[in-house]
Amino acid sequence: MRVKVLFFGRVKEIVGRAEETADVEDGADLGSLFHSYARRFPQLAEMERSTVLARNQKIAGRSECLADGDEVAFLPPVSGGSPGVRDFSPGT
Amino acid sequence: MPPEYVQIVRAPIDVAGLAAGLRRGEDGAVVVFEGIVRSHSGGRTTLYLEYEGYEAMALEQMRAIAGEARARWPIDRMAIVHRLGRLEIGETSIAIVVTSAHRAPAFDACRHAIDRVKKSVAIWKKEYFADGAVWVEGEVIQP
Repeated sequence: MRVKVLFFGRVKEIVGRAEETADVEDGADLGSLFHSYARRFPQLAEMERSTVLARNQKIAGRSECLADGDEVAFLPPVSGGSPGVRDFSPGT
Repeated sequence: MPPEYVQIVRAPIDVAGLAAGLRRGEDGAVVVFEGIVRSHSGGRTTLYLEYEGYEAMALEQMRAIAGEARARWPIDRMAIVHRLGRLEIGETSIAIVVTSAHRAPAFDACRHAIDRVKKSVAIWKKEYFADGAVWVEGEVIQP
């Protein structure tokens, strides 16, 4: 079966493209899809714990199974808040 | 304008127009937050920023954040507008507008919304300096 894979931020630069179509085996889960890319792109393997996966625009666990036609996205960390300025209340 | 208004744009955000469109006679407060592009980061001089997003997902997340805020605080309406693409120093990357009968819940809901957007919405920021560029990766995306 085929799924569409989208890449963002630093992941997009590592993979060298914004999206592609991937052939996956029946019963494959998100984790196995991630690992197939991590094998191709060692820098992506280093981001395994910080990259969140989405399936059809919703955050999904690695054990979630893929279905034909799914849209999967690799989401690196977002900017978050400014470190060190989270609590500047007087007296704290 | 609907009570929960979210939008992703690539042109300058008309914050005044947004606030004017949201306010109603029953409101006693309008709180406006603008995130703007800062000229420095970690001691380095920033030239400009580039934002990119997973737009379909980001819009859904922004809608959920506005919905949560309206369920949690007695506010009237909330708008969240994020800009993508190249932004220069001083330009507005995000605007959040909250209208309410009273000011306290409007401030609280606005603060909550911007914190949630920064931690969970599928939008990424790349900072360009004179000697290079870096993706700002502060936090693993939260559900």
